[in-house]
Amino acid sequence: MKSDASSSSFFEEDKESTGQKPNTDHNIDSIDYSLDAIENQLSSIALNTSIDEETPSIADDHHEPVTDANVSEMERERLMNSTGESNLSRETGVWRNGSEVEVDGATSSRCSSGYAGEMGTSSGTASASGADDIQELRNNSSSVDNDGEVSHSAQSQWVPGKRHMDEDDTCMSWRQRKKHFFVLSHSGKPIFSRYGNEHKLAGFSATLQAIISFVENGGDRVKLVRAGKHQVVFVVKGPIYLVCISCTEESYESLNRQLELLYGQMVLILTKSVNKCFERNPKFDMTPLLGGTDAVFSSLFHSFSWNPATFLHAYTCLPLPCTTRQAAAAILQDVSDSSVVYSMLMCQHKVVSLVGTRKAPLHPDDLLLLANFVMSSESFRTSESFSPICLPRYNSMAFLHAYVHYFDVDTYLVLLTSNSDAFFHLKDCRRRIENVLLKSNVLSDIQRSILEGGMRVENLPVYPSARYGSLFQNEPRLQESLIGGPAGLLHFIYHCVNLEQYVSSEFSPPITNHQNQKRLYRAYQKLYASMHDKETGPHKTQFKRDENYVLLCWVTQDFELYAAFDPLADKGLAIKICNRVCQWVKDVEHEIFLQVESPFAW
Amino acid sequence: MGLSSAATTTTPSDLLKFCIFDLRRGQHEGEELEKILFFFPADLPFPAQLSVIGLSEGLITFTRIFSPEAACEVIEADMHSHVFFEAEPDIWMVMVVAKSKETEAIWRIEALRSVLKEIHSLFVMFHGSIRVLLDKEPGGGLTRSHLFTFIMDYLTDFLTGNKFTLPNFRDSLKERGTVQMLTVGREAAIEVQSLVGVLDSCMANTLGYSVILFQDLLVSTTLTPDDTTNLFSYGTLRLTPRILSSGGTSTWSYLRKGNVPSQAELASRSANTLSALDGFRDPSSDNYRIVRPLQHGKWSKGKDGFLVTDIWGVEVGNLVPTTPTLWLQQTEHKMYLCVYQHKSLTIILLIPVTSMLNGEEGISMLKQQLLENASAKIFKVEEKLAKGWGGENAYHVKGYRYLLVDGDRNISRASPPGKVTTLAKESLLALNKVREDFDLEKNRGNVDAVNHEKDLEICIRAKNNAWVIARSTRGKQLYILLEKANETLLYASEAVEKFSDRYCNGAFSLD
Repeated sequence: MKSDASSSSFFEEDKESTGQKPNTDHNIDSIDYSLDAIENQLSSIALNTSIDEETPSIADDHHEPVTDANVSEMERERLMNSTGESNLSRETGVWRNGSEVEVDGATSSRCSSGYAGEMGTSSGTASASGADDIQELRNNSSSVDNDGEVSHSAQSQWVPGKRHMDEDDTCMSWRQRKKHFFVLSHSGKPIFSRYGNEHKLAGFSATLQAIISFVENGGDRVKLVRAGKHQVVFVVKGPIYLVCISCTEESYESLNRQLELLYGQMVLILTKSVNKCFERNPKFDMTPLLGGTDAVFSSLFHSFSWNPATFLHAYTCLPLPCTTRQAAAAILQDVSDSSVVYSMLMCQHKVVSLVGTRKAPLHPDDLLLLANFVMSSESFRTSESFSPICLPRYNSMAFLHAYVHYFDVDTYLVLLTSNSDAFFHLKDCRRRIENVLLKSNVLSDIQRSILEGGMRVENLPVYPSARYGSLFQNEPRLQESLIGGPAGLLHFIYHCVNLEQYVSSEFSPPITNHQNQKRLYRAYQKLYASMHDKETGPHKTQFKRDENYVLLCWVTQDFELYAAFDPLADKGLAIKICNRVCQWVKDVEHEIFLQVESPFAW
Repeated sequence: MGLSSAATTTTPSDLLKFCIFDLRRGQHEGEELEKILFFFPADLPFPAQLSVIGLSEGLITFTRIFSPEAACEVIEADMHSHVFFEAEPDIWMVMVVAKSKETEAIWRIEALRSVLKEIHSLFVMFHGSIRVLLDKEPGGGLTRSHLFTFIMDYLTDFLTGNKFTLPNFRDSLKERGTVQMLTVGREAAIEVQSLVGVLDSCMANTLGYSVILFQDLLVSTTLTPDDTTNLFSYGTLRLTPRILSSGGTSTWSYLRKGNVPSQAELASRSANTLSALDGFRDPSSDNYRIVRPLQHGKWSKGKDGFLVTDIWGVEVGNLVPTTPTLWLQQTEHKMYLCVYQHKSLTIILLIPVTSMLNGEEGISMLKQQLLENASAKIFKVEEKLAKGWGGENAYHVKGYRYLLVDGDRNISRASPPGKVTTLAKESLLALNKVREDFDLEKNRGNVDAVNHEKDLEICIRAKNNAWVIARSTRGKQLYILLEKANETLLYASEAVEKFSDRYCNGAFSLD
């Protein structure tokens, strides 16, 4: 297949090959269905474009197909509801199905914009981040933590999307990026690269493939290559190879986990049934299937530098008064029926409420990937959407359907169903939910929590006897002038193991800019990895002092506490403060954790 | 049968592969074999050898794309670790070890790399650099023969039964490539100092050097730290009374294996090595006279107290062994090696070959002088040191299992091996892991000159309740394992503080 194959040409070829085997077995049928599902997935993501009449029906092993009529009805519905038709995201072109010209156009314009040998001089096409180029290069980043992230002072200013499309492996600038992610097929075809143009990285991709298969031929499997400050981490997932090349000082375990999440994010978009395409055609070109998802991946990579959920295997809740969360939970519970697998009200990446009708609780990783997908896809914000997604930990082979609706810029509702016909039902559910949320002031409480909520180290009760009843008592903030908390406490993360939830304190001075936050995040990440070593862990306690922090970690069966202090903090005092943090968390647990049926055991 | 084939028949070649190759050689198709300077096991078919080297070479090239200043150091695969060491520019040593929990094959990469480093520095000490040998004889036969005999002789030390036991997690409280010192009282120190003066005067104007060992511990040296380390390694491997007394009663050493196989056994192993070489050597290189400094059972104590060996050959006619020679690392001077032993005391003298105009004759005169002028002093010093010597558990600190490394001076001190064996496997595994993390931090510090000498402190309470403590400050590292400690962190910290104050001059104390 030609490298510029668009999604539609892929499907043509696919049909052809099916045609060659008229008596296909069931398995092959399901492959086709899966492919159709993938195609449909892309079309549904691209809600802002009209859906082709010939869009094949969706079908996986478990779900009813969405009929053409349904789709067009859905589309009409969307048009009726859409208030932001003119605010189309700029990438919608590449999101949509059947837009061969646009996909090709996008690709070819990238390709033509400065090939090899220019050594990074062609900055004209290098997207919105020209100003970040210098910081992204290893040479110039004396600050240890810069791995090629856009380092604005505030996280909210980070702009998702792929950068440095004009680079390839011959560019010095490309070689000096601090953290690369690659996805390739087992035949060495590039599928995705964080930096640079996949098509220009074919040679490089083939090298990676050669390394992996060389070791495989020797009856082994390569996991890690280390060279100076660089680590090359390999993960093999069937026909898909994932590689990270990094000089960020993160541990092997962390990088490995990030590749697992990257793979999970791909499965969320395509399901694992994409493997079958490779079984049938080893040279299958997967790139077009991921067209337009750059923002999803760049946002995931960004979360590797600030979101503790990426290493903790837990999610976090938006702190809310108990009654508010109960009100939200009640209405979610109310709309839940046999067709809704999970329903969740989210505020950014934090959970407001989460209800599952099945016994299988939603895996924190699935939640992380789903939230990332929803938040990074601009089209979800502009109108209500009904999109096939796969939860890798729930069922990696099949699509569910996600009804997504934003109530305001931060707060959104996700209803997951296995029924592809459920759009109108879910839309109805949403209306009921919205009514209740408005009536019971849940949405305004959420906004208030964003502004004022959360645990701040400077508010840690100073006296052991002091008890906090609530985070929302409207007390005057104590000790505003204090830098950090008592005894040099800078930050903490409390992970409640049974609930698979964590709470992290708000960032207080001096950890206010993204660089500092990232450094702290990396320190926690390393601490987590060393506590949970596969062979010797989990350890019980760790005290670590380096030039940046004193870190204390406690791991018990019920909870894990990670706390960061000033590097000059006194050990004995730090231990006392940690105990106090645990007490504080216990005092306000009903506001920071989502309580599930089994009571939280202390 | 040769050693290599014996090893491969009884243990699969999978357990250990070890190669040395030169990237400047065999660049043309069909000449790939030229690259290989050494391969163990030697009887592995050439395509299999080339595959190991091909992968290594490929990854060296690949990693240079991103990390031009430091190419591939390690490949971790599911079942094997490949440890790289660029011994000389473009000359690489790669060791491939199988991992296995059952056989305790859990490695710390830096510990394995320090084996490669030791092999190379000892090789260079006796034979000069590999590159110089290759330049001397571009065919490579000379280099191959030398490397093969040398490394096979070296590896016999790791043989237990017919299996190689490389340093694993059980050796976490050891640091290869460092020197262990004897602590001496003030009075003894003065005696030693005066002995060094006498030795200097014996060597007169030759600008020689002296190294004094007591048992397996260094007492004094006038050499540079690097040369001292190399000579200390060689001394503890082949020269000390422990070694010469053929696996007898006193068999302890901080770094070397506790149980020394009998000299006869080792000698026969060494002999086998040579016969294995026959199959390996290409016919053109048959005529090299190969000096085998690491050959077992070749040193013995003469009547006059000087150690003798015929490793360096025998003078034609009078059957007097040729005096051994070696190269100093920094100055690249060729030196005569003279070793005198009295009871537990070993005195190593190095005399520049260039200053001994009359060669062997001059050496005999020097020996004579030493016997006349220094022996009384030597006896006295030996007596003093022996009196003050606390035995093999002299450096045991009750309740602690520790390793103290002074990186700047290349010195280490550790709990005696006999005490380390009382530790639980889990504790040692946890320590092994912490050391690995420390190694990584250290390596990063080295790449990044700014971050050099990072102060770092880690206290971990492991699953089995043992405290694993690692501290690094101003070029020194301290590792402590406390198994029977109280459960609080403060207790553990206090224990370290006490240790630091008492045994490290407070280097690791906080105040």
